Amino acid sequence: MSEAEEISIVEVEPIQGRDLIFIEGFPDVGLVGAIATSYIVDRLEMREAGYIDAELLPPLISVRNEQIKELIRIYYRDRIVAIVSDIPIPPPMIRPLSQSLVNWIKRKNGKLLISVSGIPEPNRLDIEKPEIYVLGSRPEITEMLVRLNGANRFKDGFIAGIKGMLLRDAVRAGLDAAIILAQAHYNYPDPGAAGQVVSYLSKFLGIEIDVKPLLESAEELRLRLRDLMMRTDQVMRGIQKSKELELPPVYL
Amino acid sequence: MEEWRRNIWRRILEEFRRVEAEISRMEDEFFRLMREAEERSGCITPLYNVYESGDEVRLTADLPGASKEEIGLIAGEDYLRIEAPCRSPLRGGEGRRYVLHVRLPAKIDPQSVKARYKEGVLEVVARKKITGYRIRIE
Repeated sequence: MSEAEEISIVEVEPIQGRDLIFIEGFPDVGLVGAIATSYIVDRLEMREAGYIDAELLPPLISVRNEQIKELIRIYYRDRIVAIVSDIPIPPPMIRPLSQSLVNWIKRKNGKLLISVSGIPEPNRLDIEKPEIYVLGSRPEITEMLVRLNGANRFKDGFIAGIKGMLLRDAVRAGLDAAIILAQAHYNYPDPGAAGQVVSYLSKFLGIEIDVKPLLESAEELRLRLRDLMMRTDQVMRGIQKSKELELPPVYL
Repeated sequence: MEEWRRNIWRRILEEFRRVEAEISRMEDEFFRLMREAEERSGCITPLYNVYESGDEVRLTADLPGASKEEIGLIAGEDYLRIEAPCRSPLRGGEGRRYVLHVRLPAKIDPQSVKARYKEGVLEVVARKKITGYRIRIE
């Protein structure tokens, strides 16, 4: 069995169209991606259109309001496809999932894959408005993202986990991809940072998304996401996520 | 590949999986025990981090829904204790308290402790207690 075959991406409703933009918010630093993507799904009233299943996922289901839910769900509306997960991606699943997702998006002729995440900021407590950092799979994409609303460049560093693998696999496959990061608490849920990313994405997508309700419910959200944050922290330890606080070695 | 080599590899892989499953079982046990203890006592253990540098010990704890006036902080030589009511109207959250008791990685001077509460995060900074003799370098 090849790595990619261990993952099944199932469309319950056909996801098709031109210039599709894929946004993934798998849980990691500050749950920024998870909070931002789930919020976008909710505000844009996106439809649940599919799910991702894998042998490597724990035998779990989510139950919400008496409804049985898949752990990793795909939402779709107009030209936006969003992927959200109720659990952090188990480390053995990261590589095959990344490859399968990139292949799938490539088959759909996707225009862009956007990873949303947090950049660990030890001084987060003193930062009122977290800064946005961007990195594209090609310099032209980075350029376009930087010009939009004065985002910063992600110049040097490491990106661990599914977000890093997706960028790498996208580069290898010639798929346009980008990562959008907000300065965030490393292992406390950070709705403030997520709000910044949502504002940025709303400009990028040209869709109005009001972040006020997100910031207003921040306190409750942080308490409710404590369990997911703890589980995510555990997984981040297993994939050297702390490496993101370091710089790659330079010898000259 | 020869049969015996394949067998060795298979056994090594099986051993890896067994160790992985065992670690995951221990982690799950940790979460279960913590969860059950919280449910029984009605206390919430906040997420927290302890940082140790050359002359400081710094602790941050995520206490959403608490208020500055109601946070009780006790500093001992080798521990910090934080208690605070949680006012967030969550399912089963009414009347809950945050309780955190952390043993510190180094002795501190309890009178040097400074704390601030900002946007739901409590930060406590303490100077390390230094006792010893100054040695002249020759």
